[in-house]
Amino acid sequence: MILSPEILTIYILDGLFIVFATVAFFLSISIIKSWDYNATTQLQYSLEKRSYLASTIIKYMFFIKLPFFLFFIFTLEKISLILPGAMCGAGVVNANEYATILLFLKLINLYLFAYWIVLDTEDMKYEEQPYLKQKFIIFTVMFLFLIVEISLEYKTFYSIDINNVVDCCGTIFSLTDNTYLSKILSLPPWILLSLFYFNFLLLVISALYRYSYSFATLNLLFILISLLSLISYFGTYIYELPTHHCPFCLLQYEYNYMGYFLYTILFIGTFNGLVIGFIKFDKQEVILKYKVSLLLNFIYLVVVTLYPLLYYFKNGVLL
Amino acid sequence: MIKLINVSKIYDKNVIALNNINLKFKEGETIILKGVSGSGKSTILSLIAGLVKPTTGSVLIDKKKISKIPDHFASSFRQEHIGFIFQKYNLINNLSVEENILLPLLPLNLKKIEHQKRVQEVLELFNIEEKRFALVKNLSGGQQQRCAIARANINNPKIILADEPTANLDEKLSLEFIEILKNLKSQQKTIIIATHDPLFFELDFVDRIIQVKNGEIIYDIES
Repeated sequence: MILSPEILTIYILDGLFIVFATVAFFLSISIIKSWDYNATTQLQYSLEKRSYLASTIIKYMFFIKLPFFLFFIFTLEKISLILPGAMCGAGVVNANEYATILLFLKLINLYLFAYWIVLDTEDMKYEEQPYLKQKFIIFTVMFLFLIVEISLEYKTFYSIDINNVVDCCGTIFSLTDNTYLSKILSLPPWILLSLFYFNFLLLVISALYRYSYSFATLNLLFILISLLSLISYFGTYIYELPTHHCPFCLLQYEYNYMGYFLYTILFIGTFNGLVIGFIKFDKQEVILKYKVSLLLNFIYLVVVTLYPLLYYFKNGVLL
Repeated sequence: MIKLINVSKIYDKNVIALNNINLKFKEGETIILKGVSGSGKSTILSLIAGLVKPTTGSVLIDKKKISKIPDHFASSFRQEHIGFIFQKYNLINNLSVEENILLPLLPLNLKKIEHQKRVQEVLELFNIEEKRFALVKNLSGGQQQRCAIARANINNPKIILADEPTANLDEKLSLEFIEILKNLKSQQKTIIIATHDPLFFELDFVDRIIQVKNGEIIYDIES
């Protein structure tokens, strides 16, 4: 078990999350059970007040969760300094069976919370609050995810043994392993690159024709393909090392913290694209979302593409 | 048209301010809500203004359920349709008359020239132009009252609510205030005044007097 100041901070914040999320959860349950917009009863007026309280709690949780996720990544990086064998956060994530699931769950929760905020903003635009019940039903699911996330977080840090030697990222993201990830990553680069650029082309076409569902689905694919192509191909140009395929080392000082920039624009870009498939926005809003999503995904594409290009211009060869 | 339907308001779980009242006010009417302190008059005004929500029942203004809409919609509605004159004026002492009057316009993002035009109009209408740049804390009670009325009218609302408007004024200033009300009445505004000042009970332009006691309507007569 490790108990560094960062982990203690995470535990304290997790405790606060549990308290506030539980309050919001019970408020949500009472709203889901008895909400009737047209009623003028004491219960309904009280539910309206409770809905404000629950919404405020959830919003505050999201705005804390956002930097908290970056802090979590920073903590993994920090722990990697004392964990034998680990060269970056990847070693910590691979130190036990919980951390990988935790990382994915954290990402899913981040998308869910962001979706909730957009839904709430949309709901508050109308006097009748058309999404009110829906948003609190979604929160009850998010609450369960959050509790699992916090439990996993506790388990992850609790079960890290600093006397055990862990694998470094070079081993974890080795292309010669027999894992599914290795098999995907060891595909010839042109396959992933074609998928990556073709996916973006389809995004542009969907945006031009305003195909909201396909735009959302393609954004989901864009997250996966972008990450895979980053690990398999583009990352090697950021590291300037053909055997280095780690998605965590990008977050280090040596690489100008480029990972924070890339992951952030990828998150905001794909998120704006995803919500179009789930919420009926007004015309102006939906156009804005298309633009933001395309612009940020395009910036991501340009930045990662520049690395191999610059490398080629500098050295006259590709890796 | 303002309607209160089966409205009750209970504060702190057991203080009954209003007990299942029903009221209807027509457009352009001037109504006096009469009653001792704590009878529920101010609560009626706050409910109509959407400042508080009822415990049960509903409040409608021109078919809009003001008691049902979320707070930020109630604020916008109030901004457009309701002018509120408070007993203690609720002015900001360290701001000038003009700055106080301008406050309700700030969220509307109007051009400066429009601000100036509207301020000029109400300053002239309520005879406080010469104090335009004076700090509110340096004004007399009557001048503060006129400033509060000017602020309540800057958006040209069709409903004016006044809560004990003459409680801090002497008889002369109260009569001045009544003249202002008469002027507003002539502009077809709906005026609802909560007061226990006897000066209001004999006025010729008042359409109805409603007696409120212990959160209930005792009588509602046309005058």
